[in-house]
Amino acid sequence: MGPISILLAAVEGAGAAPAGAGHEGPAEILMHHVLDQRLGHFYVGPFDLAPTKHLLFFVAAALLLLVVIRMALRGYQQGVPRGLAAAVEGLVLFVRDEIAVKNIGHDGHKYTPLLLSFFFFILAAAFLGLVPFSATATGNVSVTLGLAVVSFIAMQYAGISTNGLLHHFTGMIPPGLPWFLIPIMIPVELLGMFSKPFALTIRLFANMLAGHMVIGALLMLVPLTAAISTLLGISMIPVSLGLALFVMVLEILVAFIQAFIFTLLSAIFIGMFAHPSH
Amino acid sequence: MNPQAIAYFAAGIGAGLTIIGGAAGIGRLAAAAMEGIARQPNAAGDIRGAMIVVAGMIEGAIFFSLIVTMLLAFK
Repeated sequence: MGPISILLAAVEGAGAAPAGAGHEGPAEILMHHVLDQRLGHFYVGPFDLAPTKHLLFFVAAALLLLVVIRMALRGYQQGVPRGLAAAVEGLVLFVRDEIAVKNIGHDGHKYTPLLLSFFFFILAAAFLGLVPFSATATGNVSVTLGLAVVSFIAMQYAGISTNGLLHHFTGMIPPGLPWFLIPIMIPVELLGMFSKPFALTIRLFANMLAGHMVIGALLMLVPLTAAISTLLGISMIPVSLGLALFVMVLEILVAFIQAFIFTLLSAIFIGMFAHPSH
Repeated sequence: MNPQAIAYFAAGIGAGLTIIGGAAGIGRLAAAAMEGIARQPNAAGDIRGAMIVVAGMIEGAIFFSLIVTMLLAFK
């Protein structure tokens, strides 16, 4: 999703039809860029197994991470990291100390690899999405749902492995409750257990999607004003490009914040289930 | 009235209401955070971290209702 690709599409779309009407108005171009697109067809039975653009960038983010972390590992000279290794180690130590150990307790280091995977993957997917002609993998609700399901499994694993199957569920009910409130607390706590990953899903998905839609909408200002008068459209170009670039810089910050929040909330929920101490 | 027109109208009103609540909440959060940092500058790091986390959660709620609004507008 970059300025160039959107402007190119907009120019050819706006040239063919006025804004809003016709076969490719600015709204269609915008949705075209944020929604998934299938590349080719490959039918196996009733399923179309061809890769889609989001899947491609999902895999690209994972491969990018593998390559970069491997490169960072080589930067360890005599136990002291240099360069890329120092940057990666800074982030890793931050996740381990501030997020994992602080929220899960002494056995936080067991869940640190998972939390690190969440953090770096969300970051890599968001950064890749800012490159022109690309798509953000986490801007697809299926991807974020998958991440949230993994987080849910981690929460259940934490609770059941630390407390046993029965105590995992009975520990959700706060101690010291009057007896008649317990039947109400059971569905409430169960609902809470499922709403946490759901919130994680929607938060990450909507943040990534909204960021790209804002960028697209700002860039769509050019063909929209060009439909009114060409001179106005041309004069909108620096304004629109400047605003869009500013929002892209903001997207970098949002990428960091969302990765941090997803990881932090996963750690908090894992800690809540591993050590229920209401 | 055309049902699609009503849907667009409702989506617009929904988006507006969403942002009223969200921005008011985050504004209050920022005010409290600024006051806390002013009272104790060496706790600025902790306060800043907590502020960003809570802002992220409020934004999550904002985006819930934004998704509902978008569903109204595009379906």
